[in-house]
Amino acid sequence: MTGGVAAEPAAVGRRAPWLNTKILVAGVVLALAVGFLIYNSMQGTAASYFVTVGELQAQADKVDGTRVRVGGDVVPGSIQMGGPGQPIRFQVTDGTHTMDVVYTEVVPDIFSDHVQVVVEGTFHKGQEFQADTLLTKCPSRFEAAQPTDS
Amino acid sequence: MAQLGSGALVVALALAVYGIVAGVLGARRRIPELVESSIRAVWGVTALILVAVVTLLTAFLTHDFRLEYVYGRSSRDMPIYYVAAAFYGGQEGSLLYWSMIAGILSSLAVYLHRKRDRALIPYVAATVLSVETFLLFMLTVIASPFTLLPMRPDDGQGLNPLLRDVGMILHPPFLLAGFASFTVPFGFAMAAMITGRLGADWIRAIRRWSLVAWGILGVGLLFGAWWAYHVLGWGGYWGWDPVENVALLPWLTGTAFIHSVIVQERRGMLKVWNMALIVATFALSVFGTFTVRSGLISSVHSFALSPIGPWFLGYLAVVVLVSVGLLIYRLPGLQSDRAIESVVSRESGFLLNNLLFTAMAFATFWGTVFPLVTELVRETKLTVGPPFYRQVNGPLLFVMMLLMGVGPLLAWRRSNTGLLLRNLLWPAVAGVASGIVMAVLSGHLIAAASLAVTVFAVGTIVLEYVRGARVRRRTTRESYALAVAMLVRRNGRRYGGYIVHLAVALMAVGIIGSTFFQVERQFTLQPGQSGTIGPYTLTYQRLDNRVNAQGQAVVAVVDIAKNGEPRGTVESKRFFYRNYENQPTAEMGIKTIGIDDIYIVLDQWDENGTASLRAYINPMVSWIWVGGAVYVLGMVTVLWPAPMPARRPVTRPVREAALSEA
Repeated sequence: MTGGVAAEPAAVGRRAPWLNTKILVAGVVLALAVGFLIYNSMQGTAASYFVTVGELQAQADKVDGTRVRVGGDVVPGSIQMGGPGQPIRFQVTDGTHTMDVVYTEVVPDIFSDHVQVVVEGTFHKGQEFQADTLLTKCPSRFEAAQPTDS
Repeated sequence: MAQLGSGALVVALALAVYGIVAGVLGARRRIPELVESSIRAVWGVTALILVAVVTLLTAFLTHDFRLEYVYGRSSRDMPIYYVAAAFYGGQEGSLLYWSMIAGILSSLAVYLHRKRDRALIPYVAATVLSVETFLLFMLTVIASPFTLLPMRPDDGQGLNPLLRDVGMILHPPFLLAGFASFTVPFGFAMAAMITGRLGADWIRAIRRWSLVAWGILGVGLLFGAWWAYHVLGWGGYWGWDPVENVALLPWLTGTAFIHSVIVQERRGMLKVWNMALIVATFALSVFGTFTVRSGLISSVHSFALSPIGPWFLGYLAVVVLVSVGLLIYRLPGLQSDRAIESVVSRESGFLLNNLLFTAMAFATFWGTVFPLVTELVRETKLTVGPPFYRQVNGPLLFVMMLLMGVGPLLAWRRSNTGLLLRNLLWPAVAGVASGIVMAVLSGHLIAAASLAVTVFAVGTIVLEYVRGARVRRRTTRESYALAVAMLVRRNGRRYGGYIVHLAVALMAVGIIGSTFFQVERQFTLQPGQSGTIGPYTLTYQRLDNRVNAQGQAVVAVVDIAKNGEPRGTVESKRFFYRNYENQPTAEMGIKTIGIDDIYIVLDQWDENGTASLRAYINPMVSWIWVGGAVYVLGMVTVLWPAPMPARRPVTRPVREAALSEA
């Protein structure tokens, strides 16, 4: 901002309006506080790695015990529903690598073979992946498939 | 039919381009005929868009499945209201709807302002037409809703199940309309920067328009929350999903704008800031419209990659570059008339309000684009979830509520600190008292503190009404009720604003209740068995299987009793629509008893009728919807034309009229 002179001189005198020290200090304090809030929240459990199954297995040692989000497709035929009240087991694949997942919460509406999912939970090396959230993505478009006959 | 629609769009595109040229040339060469012609171009473009809209709507209602867009989104067995709502069930229709709303509002704006803001109007017309040009280009070349299939299918695919819900009939049109209506304030802001007429004119012209846009967008967000609450079934109403976040962003910056614009009107300050805010709000509206469709940010609702993404990104870049360039060019003309005199003043109150809103907008934006940033910088993708937004925005909202309590009592220029503290005494006592009661009852300190600031904020609003009414009564001797009514009628902007503040407080109570005191339990029950959650007994009666023309529904019927007393029955449903059998959707069983919502999700079931149900007690959520209604009431009050002397047919000096409006 250029240090222009106020068009109508105010009681405090001819200073650039934004150079009010108290306001400036308050602004800087606020900005720092917000910056700290953002930084602090990023350090906690709020941030998690978003990886594919292959990337997860490649970095297994590094991310052991941290929260991760894993994206992939549900392996066809791998879903074991387990009946009401029991966990669901299924496999997620990125095409080459596959991972076992256990999930106990509410099953999302669009959950079936081939569907793209994002599972989130704490990763422990060498164990089944215990997911606490399971997000599904609409298969392709937000509408039904195109007619196949022509 | 389709030819009529696409033809209208092509002609509209040509007319829009002509209108831009006419407007700019007319203003530069001072040819009034050309300017008039560009105003008419705005109307013409709008009329042509309306022709296309009617054509597409007719195609839907007559089941013209030759149109790919109609075929993919509707079917003969759908009720008529869903067929009509399918209009904006896809990106082409949404864009057409966007351009229609922008067109209608722009037409109205150039009509209403063409006399009073004569100097600005050509550039307003040119700017809104440039927005329309972009949209019409998309609609004719990239994503036409009038694409034909090679044959005419007998029946359509039907609307996506998730969209077959009352909430979905209401949510998208309001949200998209909110985005689109920021076109008008943006048009005036650009016109002010291009012409260099940066005085009070453009600000006064757009005040109402930005309020309208902000109000509609807020209603759209609320409908979205309501829809998520009763359809998505995770027990909440706001999930901090990227799609929700990008819709919230323009609302946050818009809220900042409608506050800081008051400072510019009254004190001639914060000019650069206001200009930047309105441009940012429009840019974020465009960002919000396209993020959903572009696949740029992965989201639960992401609609897969579409060809329009890069175009929108390019357009966004142009908007930002041009506006920032103009803003820098006009910096010398945007100096403040006055300085802030005291830290304890209404000016600095508004300034703090603005910093808080922009901080929230920034944090939300940062969290949303964070995966993109980390992928660029570190090669791994890091995402942040709801805890991040809660941890950052929670404290900011807390300070905001506090400020909402103090703000109305601050005087312009300089507040007498002693008087201020005396005035704040009773609201503060009420806040602290309710906080202590809450802390004793629940033992939850954060919730108690949040409630305390909310009650404090409500307290000062009540105080403002009481004081205003007293002052009136002293001269008019009216009854208290009449005095309050007249107060609102005479100064709708101020007292309507307080009604909106009251709505925010109501919603805050709902958010505090449902965030801190939600109870959740999972049951696996056979028909006839019961489970308890809190003071409530849930008896699972049976599983129904209902079939209708659209598909079938599996319905769990559950009786609810509180402390042994029957309080009614709820049905939690899962729908399986024809053509979308592998994509079931749901409607939660929700029963409001007192302050609690009993919220039942049907999770899984087997042939014997055994079902696993997930039940939540969501306290105070109904207050959010009540707050929504109050928000609308407050909006209408603010926008309602005041009975001003300036409205009498006698022509009064402009200066006086301007003063009485302030």
